[in-house]
Amino acid sequence: MPKILPSDPSRIYILVVPLAILLLAVPLWIYSGLGPALAALVVAALCFFVISSLVRKVVKAQEQERLLDLQLIQSQKLAAIGELSAGIAHEINNPLAIIAQEVEWARHQLQAEKPEGKSFAELKDSLDEITRQVDRCSEVTHRILDFARKRDPLVQSTEINKLVEDMAKLVEKEVSHAGICVIRQYENDLPPALTDPPLLRQVVLNLLNNAADSVGQNGTISLETRIPDKGKIEIEISDTGCGIPKEDLNRIFDPFFTTKPPGKGTGLGLSLCHSIIIRLGGTITVQSEQGKGSAFTVRLPLDYNSHKSG
Amino acid sequence: MSVRPKVLIVDDEERFRTTLHKLLAIRKIDAAHVGSAKEAFSEIANNDYDVILLDVKMPEMDGIQALGRIKRENPQIEVIILTGHASVDAAVEIMKLGGYEYLLKPCAIDELVGKIESAWERKLIRGKKTLDANS
Amino acid sequence: MNPAKPKLLIIDDEPDFLETIVKRLLKRQIDATGVDSGKEALRVLQEQSFDVVILDVRMPGMDGIETLKEIKKRSPLTEVIMLTGHGSIKSGIKGMELGAFDYVIKPADFEELFEKVNQAAERKMLHEERVRKA
Repeated sequence: MPKILPSDPSRIYILVVPLAILLLAVPLWIYSGLGPALAALVVAALCFFVISSLVRKVVKAQEQERLLDLQLIQSQKLAAIGELSAGIAHEINNPLAIIAQEVEWARHQLQAEKPEGKSFAELKDSLDEITRQVDRCSEVTHRILDFARKRDPLVQSTEINKLVEDMAKLVEKEVSHAGICVIRQYENDLPPALTDPPLLRQVVLNLLNNAADSVGQNGTISLETRIPDKGKIEIEISDTGCGIPKEDLNRIFDPFFTTKPPGKGTGLGLSLCHSIIIRLGGTITVQSEQGKGSAFTVRLPLDYNSHKSG
Repeated sequence: MSVRPKVLIVDDEERFRTTLHKLLAIRKIDAAHVGSAKEAFSEIANNDYDVILLDVKMPEMDGIQALGRIKRENPQIEVIILTGHASVDAAVEIMKLGGYEYLLKPCAIDELVGKIESAWERKLIRGKKTLDANS
Repeated sequence: MNPAKPKLLIIDDEPDFLETIVKRLLKRQIDATGVDSGKEALRVLQEQSFDVVILDVRMPGMDGIETLKEIKKRSPLTEVIMLTGHGSIKSGIKGMELGAFDYVIKPADFEELFEKVNQAAERKMLHEERVRKA
């Protein structure tokens, strides 16, 4: 049952035309009789419904456009950061390669001398540590470069419920030990979608991983699929975890932004999800309350080809 | 045919080349080195090489273009691309042009030597197949 | 490549599982080869190319992720389906990042696996087409 009155009070102007016609009903009744007055009433009512429904449609379209604009800005931000960090990562890999080789050569020199004594043992240990840290750096650079790479979708017919359920099963096996239960609510007659299955799997898995991390122990992760609009599919992954602080909400999809302690996660997971979903022609949004939980909603076109942006 | 592979290192970072040359030498691999694709072409024209280690990012001509030219002019030489990063698309491009493989920098010396040896092995096997076919 | 008849390589260190799955695939007229280690797989890949690889994540010696990396390097268009006995989210994410097509929990229903193999084969064909056009 649609709302009768528009929610925004400033849209009271919608009532102007119908009210005017309504007022006309009084003189009409006096001068022309009941018939024309009733006709005016009917016209006023029709006017009201038509105008308010048109206004609702316009407002909805404006909201959608605003959301798409925000997603576009976010994806441009991501692309710029991605390119910058890829450039840096590339530049760093060369000196890293040289450091790694120098360490190898130094190690060889030590072995050739066959030295004994505490200093040499310390030296060898330092060299080993340098190698470890070089490996650590190179993991970071490779992850950054991976994040920045283009992922052109390869479109295949995909059963969304099956895809989501497959990932759910994977996660469930691991989290059931921690007292987390996984609830599903799938839309029954979800038509097959034309999208990129492995890319979508990455997104679902990342979101599930975040959900599991934020719940920790004892809680719920819910998966829902639905048809919000004609030609669209929605996947919602929500949890009863720690939630996201209000001030962090608009940074949550930024690369390198993470609420996890240092060393645990590079902060690239959600920004990766965002760029994949944009590539697939969709949107991803989040609702969250600190202490209560979060809900991530992915909305995708049913047919990637029909919604491909230029 | 030599008992050990003859290798050419092509990389614009001098220190990288010279230290790699030393590390390969202690593993009994004789490696020459040059700093650009241009120098590489002239080296290849004048000497026999089994395996070339080619850096993907170089001034003037990048590794992928160089790979294309090397394989066109010397199809029997195996080329290993050294790259700061590779994606599936880059890997496909390298395979299409006939590259043996790509290695991510930084790369452990043992892994590098392993790849050099398997690339060399492939060269020998292919060379033998050609001989058998022609006889 | 014929998407209806993909060439399969299965890599699993469990001999019973390996034998069973290869047999069932051969019965479906699928050209399937089985190997029991990552190292052996790479050796076979030097000589033949495959459309789809089914790969166990946990293997002694060269583990699934390492093998996946190497396969993607040498044969970037080959699609890989990872099999896992215990379901680790982190290794799933890592595998998908490295380009795995799908992740399946063991014990895997044969029909489901077969369905995924077909999807993977279709993807390889689409990818090849795109590369050819480029």
